[in-house]
Amino acid sequence: MTPNRLTCEETFRRLNDYLDRALSPEEKRLVEEHLETCAGCAREFRFEMSLLDNLRAKLSRIDIPEDMLARITRRLEEARRECE
Amino acid sequence: MVDVWLPRSAAGGSIMDGAVQVETAATYGAAASAGSGVTPDSMSFEQLLTPLLSPAFGIAMSLVGNAADAEDAVQDAALRALRGFDSFQPGTNFKAWFYKILTNCCFGRHRQEKRRPAAVDLDDVPDLYLYARTAASGLHTVSSDPAALLMEKMSLEQVRAAIDALPAEYRVVATMFFLDDLTYEEIADMLGIPVGTVRSRLHRGRRMLQKALWLIAEEAGIVQELSRGSA
Repeated sequence: MTPNRLTCEETFRRLNDYLDRALSPEEKRLVEEHLETCAGCAREFRFEMSLLDNLRAKLSRIDIPEDMLARITRRLEEARRECE
Repeated sequence: MVDVWLPRSAAGGSIMDGAVQVETAATYGAAASAGSGVTPDSMSFEQLLTPLLSPAFGIAMSLVGNAADAEDAVQDAALRALRGFDSFQPGTNFKAWFYKILTNCCFGRHRQEKRRPAAVDLDDVPDLYLYARTAASGLHTVSSDPAALLMEKMSLEQVRAAIDALPAEYRVVATMFFLDDLTYEEIADMLGIPVGTVRSRLHRGRRMLQKALWLIAEEAGIVQELSRGSA
């Protein structure tokens, strides 16, 4: 059963699922309600969210080998011709 | 190497016109499924595959450890997907189907190599490891966003080295989550493991990654440099 309000401990237990967007809408609402009134938890959650966002931004910079897409295109075209 | 920046709004392209264009998987997801993960029946193989090749390379890099093998794995996966496209069920999730083929190709290659040992002892890392370390080092007084401050100072290579330090079973889950924003269910389907295992590996892997990032930042003198700003 979902409580009406979350304690700091209950909120913290939901940190990872909150970051992974895996909470139900109701649980997400309860977490965010707690964060609005608890500066300590809000600081921790903000840190973890910022870390995740910055990691994603950094890792989205993908160094693909030059001409990789063209090479794969050619190989797929060859494979199609072999099938015909 | 071609440094390709993949903004979330990047334009797409066709693989068969030979142009080297990229499209993010997120853009693909929006176009293909409006967020449902389900692929419309009307899209061709090339339309489905092209936007996935760049993120697929990123995932393969993390799994096999070098660019040459990663490209080979992506190419193998693309060929297997083409040959097996008849078995793909229209209306289901092409991305999950293709990445499953890709991970099998990567694991096939990886099994031939010696397992990479973890570079650092990542056992029993407590929650909020990086938060506690940055606070103890005074970084919370330097910036209102100490996580961003630290990450801005770390290079892409250093971040990749931290991910590479994770044991393989954690690295693969973390990579899929960070690079392509896949759900627990999609990752579980691709790796053939329970959703609960994905969840626990992702959570534990994230703690391990925080320790690996911190150790690398310390070794590179980044922590000391940033801490001087708090003195």
